[in-house]
Amino acid sequence: MIKFLLKRAALTLPTFVALMFVTFTMIRLVPGDPIEVRRGERGISPERLAELRHDMGLDQPIWKQFFDYVWALLHGDFGTSIVSKTPITTEFFTLFPATLELGLCAMLFAVLIGVPAGVIAAAKRGSFYDQSMMGIALVGYSMPIFWWGLILILFMSNTLHLTPVSGRVDLIKFFYKPITGFALIDSVLSGQKGAFLDVLRHLILPTIVLGTVPLGVVARMTRSSMLEVLEEDYVRTAKAKGLTKFRVIGYHALRNALIPVVTVIGLQIGSLLAGTVLTETIFSWPGVGHWLVQSIGRRDYPALQGGIMLIASMVIVVNFLIDMLYGLINPRIRHGR
Amino acid sequence: MAVETLHLAPPGPLLAFWRSFRENRGAVIGLAIVCGVVFIAIFANFLAPYDPLEQFRDATKLPPIWVEGGDWKYILGTDPLGRDMLSRILYGSRISLFIGSSVMLVTAIFGIFLGLIAAFKGGIIDVVVIRIMDLIMAIPSLVLAILIIAVIGPNLTNTIVAITIVYLPRFVRLVRASAMSELSKDYVTAARVAGVGQWRLMFSTVLPNCMAPLIVQAALGISDAILEAAGLGFLGLGAQPPTPEWGSMLADSRDLITSNPWVMALPGIAILITVLSINLMGDGLRDALDPRLRRS
Repeated sequence: MIKFLLKRAALTLPTFVALMFVTFTMIRLVPGDPIEVRRGERGISPERLAELRHDMGLDQPIWKQFFDYVWALLHGDFGTSIVSKTPITTEFFTLFPATLELGLCAMLFAVLIGVPAGVIAAAKRGSFYDQSMMGIALVGYSMPIFWWGLILILFMSNTLHLTPVSGRVDLIKFFYKPITGFALIDSVLSGQKGAFLDVLRHLILPTIVLGTVPLGVVARMTRSSMLEVLEEDYVRTAKAKGLTKFRVIGYHALRNALIPVVTVIGLQIGSLLAGTVLTETIFSWPGVGHWLVQSIGRRDYPALQGGIMLIASMVIVVNFLIDMLYGLINPRIRHGR
Repeated sequence: MAVETLHLAPPGPLLAFWRSFRENRGAVIGLAIVCGVVFIAIFANFLAPYDPLEQFRDATKLPPIWVEGGDWKYILGTDPLGRDMLSRILYGSRISLFIGSSVMLVTAIFGIFLGLIAAFKGGIIDVVVIRIMDLIMAIPSLVLAILIIAVIGPNLTNTIVAITIVYLPRFVRLVRASAMSELSKDYVTAARVAGVGQWRLMFSTVLPNCMAPLIVQAALGISDAILEAAGLGFLGLGAQPPTPEWGSMLADSRDLITSNPWVMALPGIAILITVLSINLMGDGLRDALDPRLRRS
């Protein structure tokens, strides 16, 4: 097991090095160097320019710059934002809980609806319910979520006035200090009446929008995996024993059918992060995705560089952990490779 | 009485494929809509009543005809600049399909090449190719596309470049995996023994036998590319105005959500219909071509 673990860890190392190289090169390929961006329209004296270049290490040979960059990264220094002059890590981790909260809610939404829908569809294979459910799942899977978000705002917020249009909480009515960064928890901790419900109301639309595509994927995957399991001998045995249909499907079959579904959920993390970019932009959600898009608008390349480095590292680490988990659950994977 | 002998030849591969594909009603509907969209894209200049960029200053913000105040001259209404929505939507299909198919074409060419090289050469080449693909896959697709666009600048060509880079790994890995499973088979050994050269072995012996999953992946990849391109357009990082690209049309109409919801709704409906029909078709392709991946 330890050998397997070490081997896997060693395999992710080159990916990290390459990632550092890519993010390092990127900022040097961007039109206009970082100093030019900072200089603005009024111009700057040549002495000050040289000084700034020296401060940022831009007068060093390129290989030295790369090693300095890697050295800084290894010490947790992901650079400083040009706009806010704060470290990228500070900015990122202030905003990240909002993204994480939204992502978890969206995944929960997708699983809580997708799994039962897929199970029932498989149990009633070929029925009208099955066909319409799979039709809806495919629509969800094909949904341009930025449009879906606007349509939901149009109906739910502008026409029916059920949900707020943007943000995480109504800042005029409620104010609390972020303790955990998770609005759902912080609002409870603040002890203000109605704050939690307000946060929940703000979460509804972004959750639906971000959860729509995973919902389609999970429902389709659950159905096909369930259909496969229902053909197995042990399911027939369970049926022959005279167990109720509910018990056969809900207990014997579902447990095994969920394994590939869990895999798919794990694989959704990357696309979920991609989805947050669009969802957060629509709902002005103060998370990492919205911040990345804004960084491009502000030409804040260090923020872009650091942010992408952090996001990609997280995805690599999460994928590594999922791999480990499979190795633990399934000995065939552990010994097979 | 003479007995008539029937010579029942097995159906050709195309016919067999069609019979299998036909069973899936959704797939056939999807195919029909895809054909319709392709037709619209090709003949947009004949079908569209106006130039998509022409501004009718005396007819701005008109609703579609089924809403009160609509004008038959502009069936789907006009945008705030007085441009005909129908013409813009029709021309938009051209851009979306162009992006989708060019991404898939370039991805397929590079993907097949890299995947086969990795599978055949093995060793260090394989490791390098696969590590690079892993790296690309580690960055969320849209985030990577944004990064690439930030470096090379937003326009239509760069959208295609960015999305191609993002989708390359899927194809490379699929080609490599399919080729590897073929490599151990007897017919490949036989071809090798017969003295078939490396390149010929790659492209004319092994590749045709890996095609089924690749076709399915290509079809589904087109719809993903269209969605991704529209997403980039929505963020202002794709095709630039006044190009009638569906995603950027949506972005332009965000502020009209209360006053002119149709200007916002229509491009999205166009995207959804196109992507949905390609996915329906792709599901059918998968069932017909690749029974192992059968979903139902």
